[in-house]
Amino acid sequence: MKTAILLNRKIARAALAFVLPVLVYNIVFRIYPIAYAFYLSLTRFSGFGDPRFIGFINFQELFVDKDFWSSMIRTLQFSAAVLPANMLLSLLLALLINRKMFGISLVRAVCYLPVITPMVAASVIWMWIYDPNVGILNFVLNLFGVGPVNFLGNPSTALYSIAVMRVWRGIGWNMIVYLAGLQSIPKELYEAASIDGATSAKRFSKITLPLLGPVHVYILLVGFASTLQTFTEVYVMTQGGPISSTMVVGLLIYKTAFDYMNIGYASAMSFVVGSVIMLTSILALSRRKDVAL
Amino acid sequence: MRTGLKVLFVLASVLIAVTVFSKDTVLVWFAGTDKSLVDCVDRLIKDFEKRNPDIDVEVEFIPWGELSVKLTTAFAGGIGPDIFMHGQAAVAGFVENGVLMPLDNHLDAFEDIKDFGDVIETGRYKGNLYFIPIYGTGRLLAYRTDLFEKAGLDPTEPPMTWEQLKEYAIKLTEWEGNRMKVAGIDLEVPSQQVWGTFFVSNGGEFFNERFEPTFNSPQGIEALEYYTDLVRKYRVYPEAGLTKVANLDPIIAGTAAMAFVTAETMAAAKKYAPDVYEKIRLSFPPARVKRATFYSFGGFMISKSTKNPKATVRVLSFLTSKSSIAEISYVLGGIPARKSAINDPRFGSDPVISMFIEGMKYAFWNPNVPFWTRARDILSQYIERAVRGTMSPKEALDKAVEEVRKLK
Repeated sequence: MKTAILLNRKIARAALAFVLPVLVYNIVFRIYPIAYAFYLSLTRFSGFGDPRFIGFINFQELFVDKDFWSSMIRTLQFSAAVLPANMLLSLLLALLINRKMFGISLVRAVCYLPVITPMVAASVIWMWIYDPNVGILNFVLNLFGVGPVNFLGNPSTALYSIAVMRVWRGIGWNMIVYLAGLQSIPKELYEAASIDGATSAKRFSKITLPLLGPVHVYILLVGFASTLQTFTEVYVMTQGGPISSTMVVGLLIYKTAFDYMNIGYASAMSFVVGSVIMLTSILALSRRKDVAL
Repeated sequence: MRTGLKVLFVLASVLIAVTVFSKDTVLVWFAGTDKSLVDCVDRLIKDFEKRNPDIDVEVEFIPWGELSVKLTTAFAGGIGPDIFMHGQAAVAGFVENGVLMPLDNHLDAFEDIKDFGDVIETGRYKGNLYFIPIYGTGRLLAYRTDLFEKAGLDPTEPPMTWEQLKEYAIKLTEWEGNRMKVAGIDLEVPSQQVWGTFFVSNGGEFFNERFEPTFNSPQGIEALEYYTDLVRKYRVYPEAGLTKVANLDPIIAGTAAMAFVTAETMAAAKKYAPDVYEKIRLSFPPARVKRATFYSFGGFMISKSTKNPKATVRVLSFLTSKSSIAEISYVLGGIPARKSAINDPRFGSDPVISMFIEGMKYAFWNPNVPFWTRARDILSQYIERAVRGTMSPKEALDKAVEEVRKLK
């Protein structure tokens, strides 16, 4: 009995030793900053001097702040533009490369290349592509007698132009996730369906799509969280303009904190955005227990 | 006992040595990471430390784009610099947040403070001086002589009034089908700086002494009507704006015939398009009620939390001396904040820099109000709305003033 207790203690100590670094990391770099940011959201704090506790006033002000809500709606528009296109194209690409053929590794690598391109570099390249004077897109449009179009300088096209860039950049990652999902579907199911006379369209709609359900949810959730945090590409390409047409919530938070020196208010904004992401995730996960996390 | 005494003696000697030979450390943050700036500052600091062996100057170079974020986080963490460089527009905000030390009691420490002229006022807020300007960047009217000749205009006669500017811009605008090939003038919508040039030259003021926004005054509305008409009525600038071509400003790329340029734009033209540089001439911006042009200044401030105010003031005094300002401005390609720099052959012999130094007499700068950054963004947004025709100039400025008032 005594030996068993000693052994259990030894195992517990060893387990603790393994868990401790992750625990410390999470406390120091995740839990503490989140808790401190929440505290700051209850203060007036410019970044200088001491934060002054004001309770929930920041949240009350935020509730009637039309700049914040219009940037939230704009960000949701951005998500709505990016996610369906991204999922559809990455699924199509995954289906295309989920086969054995000559040079398929190269195709996969090329499709994945945008993912590893730094966002700032990608943004600068797309600014050139969209340039109304020397951009390749306007060059092509000009061949058809269209344009020039100032994609990033026009309030009605700027947000969607950035969305296109974002789709391009996100496809590679989602393609790999879809590919993993496709390769985990048992081949026997397709064989059985073929024997039963199912067409390829039927096999896709009755086997592939339903069995990829958890992957869809995963990609949708991660994509939604990621698009709500959009910052770099907007900061580099348009700085929120023209006429605030690309002022997404991530950029507004940054400007509020560091341009307007209102860190307490920016923290409150972050918490609202974080809550939206969390609630959406909880809602989605409560409906699907088999999500591929 | 004797060993104990020996130990005591050694400890006392170390303590005395540490006290006598210890140095005051002053941390300085420079904005910019250009190699020429780093080399120049390194040279200056070595020279200072040689002459002031009791002070140890530590220097860090921060990219301009990261400066605000790094300052905020450093001060929040209690590790901010003693002296830091920033734009003049940030002064009021820093003062209201209790960051800056007033310099009024130390003015004697600075070399010939009168040499700054009116420019020293950029650093004054609520009667106290907090900022010493080092170098500036201004805006002068630049025009392409080749495009002037092509349009039948005399390149030795730049536009001197608003009316002339409009006439010239119409003549200089070139079309290729429905595409504007050359804009008569680059208005840089939505920059409030170019509109501000018209506004101030029309006798307008951004704020009154109580920090009430006043840019929806008749002068402001008239300036915005003129600015908007240039785009919408006379079509001398594309509504969707002009973009840089291969990182070169439109006037260098030849997509604009006139522009309000900075010394940096001229330096870029000289470096990357020397043939075009030869065809660009400068003049003072056209006047209405008076002549005015926007200048902004970078300079130094002292943190209120500096532990060694005396040593810090000595370092700042050195960094803002005539020779240091000349050195720093020269490597940055900026306009030195001191008037005496015109006597420095490096500036005096350069016709472009000389003109920018001369232009300082017409300078106006960002208003010293603590919420200027936010107010500027609001103003720019409404200027853009007026230019795009979604609001009338009066509506746009009234709305901007209404929003800016809430910031007070």
